[in-house]
Amino acid sequence: MSAAERVEHLRQLGRLDDAERQARAALAAEPGDARLLAALAAVLLGTDRTAEGLAAADAAVAAAPRDERAHRLRALLLSRLGRHQEAVEAGYVSVALAPEEPFAATGYARVLQRAGRLNDAVRVAHHVVTLAPNSADAHFLLADVTSDAGDRRTAREAYAETLRLDPQHAAARHDLAVLDARSHRLSRALKGLVDAGTMDPSMTQVLQTVTVVLWQLSWRLRVWLAIATLVAIVVSGTEAPDRPTAAARVAAVAILLASAALTWWTTRGLPARTRPVVLAALRTDGPLRFTYLATVACIVVYAVIAVTGLGVLAAVVWLVLGMLGWLTLGVRVFRSARQRREGR
Amino acid sequence: MPDDALLTSLLAAVDAAPDDVPLRLHVAGLLADRGRIPEALLHCTQALSHDAANPEAVALLQRLTAALAAPATPDPAAEHAREPAAFDWSSAEEQVSDIAAPELARAADTDPAPTVEDIEKPTVKLADVGGMDDVKQRLELAFLGPMRNPQLARAFGKNLSGGLLLYGPPGCGKTFLARAVAGELGARFYDVGISDILDMYVGASERNLSQIFDAARRNAPCVLFLDEIDALGQKRSHLSHSSSMRNTVNQLLSEMDSLSGDNDGVFVLGATNHPWDVDSALRRPGRFDRMLLVLPPDAPARGAILRYHLRDRPVATLDVDRIVKATEHFSGADLAHVCDTAAERALAASMKAGQLRPLTTGDLEAAVREIRPSTGPWFTTARNVTAFGNADGSYDDLAAYLRKHRKL
Ligand SMILES: Nc1ncnc2c1ncn2[C@@H]1O[C@H](COP(=O)(O)OP(=O)(O)O)[C@@H](O)[C@H]1O
Ligand SMILES: [Mg+2]
Repeated sequence: MSAAERVEHLRQLGRLDDAERQARAALAAEPGDARLLAALAAVLLGTDRTAEGLAAADAAVAAAPRDERAHRLRALLLSRLGRHQEAVEAGYVSVALAPEEPFAATGYARVLQRAGRLNDAVRVAHHVVTLAPNSADAHFLLADVTSDAGDRRTAREAYAETLRLDPQHAAARHDLAVLDARSHRLSRALKGLVDAGTMDPSMTQVLQTVTVVLWQLSWRLRVWLAIATLVAIVVSGTEAPDRPTAAARVAAVAILLASAALTWWTTRGLPARTRPVVLAALRTDGPLRFTYLATVACIVVYAVIAVTGLGVLAAVVWLVLGMLGWLTLGVRVFRSARQRREGR
Repeated sequence: MPDDALLTSLLAAVDAAPDDVPLRLHVAGLLADRGRIPEALLHCTQALSHDAANPEAVALLQRLTAALAAPATPDPAAEHAREPAAFDWSSAEEQVSDIAAPELARAADTDPAPTVEDIEKPTVKLADVGGMDDVKQRLELAFLGPMRNPQLARAFGKNLSGGLLLYGPPGCGKTFLARAVAGELGARFYDVGISDILDMYVGASERNLSQIFDAARRNAPCVLFLDEIDALGQKRSHLSHSSSMRNTVNQLLSEMDSLSGDNDGVFVLGATNHPWDVDSALRRPGRFDRMLLVLPPDAPARGAILRYHLRDRPVATLDVDRIVKATEHFSGADLAHVCDTAAERALAASMKAGQLRPLTTGDLEAAVREIRPSTGPWFTTARNVTAFGNADGSYDDLAAYLRKHRKL
């Protein structure tokens, strides 16, 4: 086994530190070895040390100007550094050197995608699928770029094909669930996320997406409660707000029944494994937890109205919902500001 | 005898109140005093099953297993296990190489490995590991007790085969604990780093796992420590289908299976930061079927680690407790880093002043503010794993810890 192969194996095992050490040791003896230089560039790409990686990729290109992989790695590294124009050029060179090589085309598509040239990326991704029709990753690439380009139909089909070829493709399962969430199919999204997390429990992104879906679900719940509360206030009338009325009772019971039906409808297809996942997501997000507790409190208020007949209590629900509205708005503003700050 | 009348009545009382742990321990102690060790042990283990963390019970268990190991037994395996304990290794360090040399010279013509540096005799004891009483007690129960007295363990139906897998965030003392276990057993310690195994796998090394296991058997009693075994598993890597990796894993499986039962004095300990990536075949019964969670050092452990790293440095009177409070969730490695950074500050100040300025609590506090605990990403993944991958309850310990520390 050659030194470069050894480095590749270590990299694929996820032992990036070991891989880097071996690569540098081998390069000390043979500083001009193009394959070693490319292997080192790939390792550094994996560790997000893009500037060093680019130096290695530049050296690899200089040592073997007709090596497709060296140009491809250079393209990916330039793209990570935000130098999109150069990245696209390097990607084009690698495809021109190996037009039949699916990896080259995949790299080019990724570079175009990151440069914001989504239509070109979609075209190249289709080409990758024709080059490697049985590769799950080829279909995953197509799904990813078409999803970015807003073509949900093609994206959905390509995710399905990815999962047919590789049923354990956790990333595809996750991204398909994200599409479901964007199309407001929340319980389907939740189910997909639970599947994705079970396939690869170390994929931390999944739990974050679960909280996003739970926020969406809580929004839906609150809209429902707001409408129901308006109806309840109108139905129970205003002439005797401080005395028990039958109308208030009936309205409260109807709301309770409808809420129960709605909950059943949303959760009916979910596996038992969903429960610990939802609880864990709630544990990581304080405001979300508070929102759900407050929503449960609203339901309790309706139970009290159903028993006492005091329609005026619906005003409490109204107040709580108003407060939650402000809270979620505040959380959203705060979090997007933080994201922008961290993104910079 | 009045004495025995007392014991008889106490035994009756224990039967009447089987859940009374202090009473049971008292009786166990009396039985031990009378040399009725097996009975005492029975009561002790029952007390532990009610209250696993009872320090008195654990102490008694240690005493009992030690007592059991003392009387001469005809069993050659037990003979074997006892021999090094009688020998004062720590004072005869230079002799080790003398003893080992001829044997290794012999070994060298059959196989190229292991070299003398690979096998050592650690002098660290569990007592040197600061704090972490919970982990120590579990180690005592799950590993050390049975290992000190294999016959007894077998009498209780405790299976000695299989290894114990330590897992937890990086830099929190797994390797350190493994060495302490070897020191505690008076056994030799054979550290098989993952780089050794990967070398075999990528063909950079001539030796293979069965040679390592053979060497361990020749050096029995021996703790064979397989560090970072997740690299072998790689459930989700395409390499897990590659034949040479599969071969390496299969070799390990068959070696571990061959250890079962024949009690050749080789104890296998594993460690990993990512148990969820460990090949599931390695987690089957008889292999690494027990897992022990090693968490970031608790307050006493942090104190011990800080004092250790500051021992040779010029320090002012330090308020270590204050630093201990400020460093929750820091790993042992992070704490070492804190001490290094504080020392740099003190050095810079000394150079500026032109005279020695000892390291102060303020330096340490400044360093703590600069350094983020490195365990964060691990706990993020761990939270995910307990949410999605704990259907069989193997991460219940971890889940309980995460529930207690929501912020992680
Ligand atoms: N409880 C402890 N007492 C003393 N030192 C400790 C303790 N926990 C960790 N350390 C120190 O922290 C360092 C890292 O520990 P190590 O065993 O290498 O971590 P791991 O194997 O879990 O990655 C070691 O140098 C060890 O001395
Ligand atoms: Mg270690």
